[in-house]
Amino acid sequence: MVLHRLSIIKKRWFTTSIFGLEFRLPGIRPLPGQFFQVQVDEGVDPFLNRPISIASYVNARLLIVVKVVGRGTRILGMKEPGEFVKMLGPFGRRFRPPKRKSLIVAGGIGIAPLHFMAEHLFRNKISFDVLYGVRRKDEFIFRDELAKMSERSVFVAERGYKKQETVVSKIQKMDLGDYGAAYACGPREMFIALQELNLPMPIYAFCEDFMGCGCGLCLGCAIMYKNEYHRICTDGPVLELGEIVFEV
Amino acid sequence: MFLASGTFEYGLIYKRVTNKAGAIFTKGITARPRGGNPSPRVYETACGLINSVGLENPGVEIFCKDILPKMRKLKTRIFVNVAGFSVNDFVQIVGEIGTEVDGFELNVSCPNVEGGGVAFGRDPEVCSRVVAEVRKVTKLPVIVKLTANFCDPLVIGRRCVEAGADGISLINTLHAMAFDINKRKVMIKGGLSGPAIKPFALYCVNYLKDLEVPIIGVGGIMSGRDVYEFLLAGASAVEIGSATLRDPYAPLRIIKELESYTG
Repeated sequence: MVLHRLSIIKKRWFTTSIFGLEFRLPGIRPLPGQFFQVQVDEGVDPFLNRPISIASYVNARLLIVVKVVGRGTRILGMKEPGEFVKMLGPFGRRFRPPKRKSLIVAGGIGIAPLHFMAEHLFRNKISFDVLYGVRRKDEFIFRDELAKMSERSVFVAERGYKKQETVVSKIQKMDLGDYGAAYACGPREMFIALQELNLPMPIYAFCEDFMGCGCGLCLGCAIMYKNEYHRICTDGPVLELGEIVFEV
Repeated sequence: MFLASGTFEYGLIYKRVTNKAGAIFTKGITARPRGGNPSPRVYETACGLINSVGLENPGVEIFCKDILPKMRKLKTRIFVNVAGFSVNDFVQIVGEIGTEVDGFELNVSCPNVEGGGVAFGRDPEVCSRVVAEVRKVTKLPVIVKLTANFCDPLVIGRRCVEAGADGISLINTLHAMAFDINKRKVMIKGGLSGPAIKPFALYCVNYLKDLEVPIIGVGGIMSGRDVYEFLLAGASAVEIGSATLRDPYAPLRIIKELESYTG
């Protein structure tokens, strides 16, 4: 783990609230689920770094995709190409996905780490399908890329023009017999609903939480997993959904 | 310059940093294993954070068996932060650890657990009894980590010194809470740390500076300049806490910066 000081080489607003920052960072070999602790500001307010997953890493080009949800992400969103961003990482357990036909299940901004997962599967010639849901139709990101890399991709919007569908309602109508594994990331409600469906394949959840350090020092990001508390930052963030207990 | 309890685990992750520090203060060790509190355990506030980890640790037995042998390979001194829920707990934990370490920091001030914890640290009578009883079972340095939550740390500090404490560290985190206004319920209730509490920590250190034992200043240190301020306030040493959450290598930078002030 190293502290990187990286210059933004490209910035792009995917939607009115989701932006991507691209950096050049050679010499790392990140795996799906891994993340960086991004320093929002040089000063001490905001104090903590923001855990942001890797959305893409191709030819030493690192892309992070951030949704503006509060003050820290808003400040990050004001950064422009040429400016420097400090970040620590990559953090997170090195998770190697099994070589089985798989299904990517994304809800909202949960697509960010799963896009990197898609890149990984594609590069390793593991075939996969995508099920990706958002609230409003205009919130899809990486739509073309996902369609290109996957065998089959299904996009659903909760408030679509024709059909109103969610990831959870859609997955129940799908034939899941083929899949050896699923990778899911999305809001907590999506995880809980998926858990209740008792799907036939193992589901690997890409978890998140408020984090202190992101690297195992503070025990701040606890998750009840296999009957005891685990750290999302170092034991995860990729964990088996079936073993997670979502507390109140 | 020491690494504060709770923000550098057991010093085994960033050994290069641990080995540069004067000492590592372990996460609070309790008599029995503790799972800790449910999420959220950390929540950012202005210039700092509220934490409510709840003393997650494997308990003294596993600590001695699995963690301490690894820690003993570190090239720094080891102080065990002892978190008891009764006078007996403190005595038992210190006794069980024995002489395998360089000293103890009695945590009579953790705000994140029910019973014991900070309730202990507010009562001069109980505090001095804890110190006196621990004193009987160890010859190693005993530091008491005081709280400044709803009490007079000078009164308590004085009693601890009379009872045989070799040093005082302060402050532990301050009582704090935050609300989720959408759900209209408490988001987190815990201890505030970070630069937000530094001015108060400085004041507390300065307030206790005339005690006859060394004072270790803790609270929101982010730079060499901050350390220098604590030294001016009367501290003999400092602990670096929350700064490592932002940057685990911060202690190395702080040492360098301090050298530029002190030559």
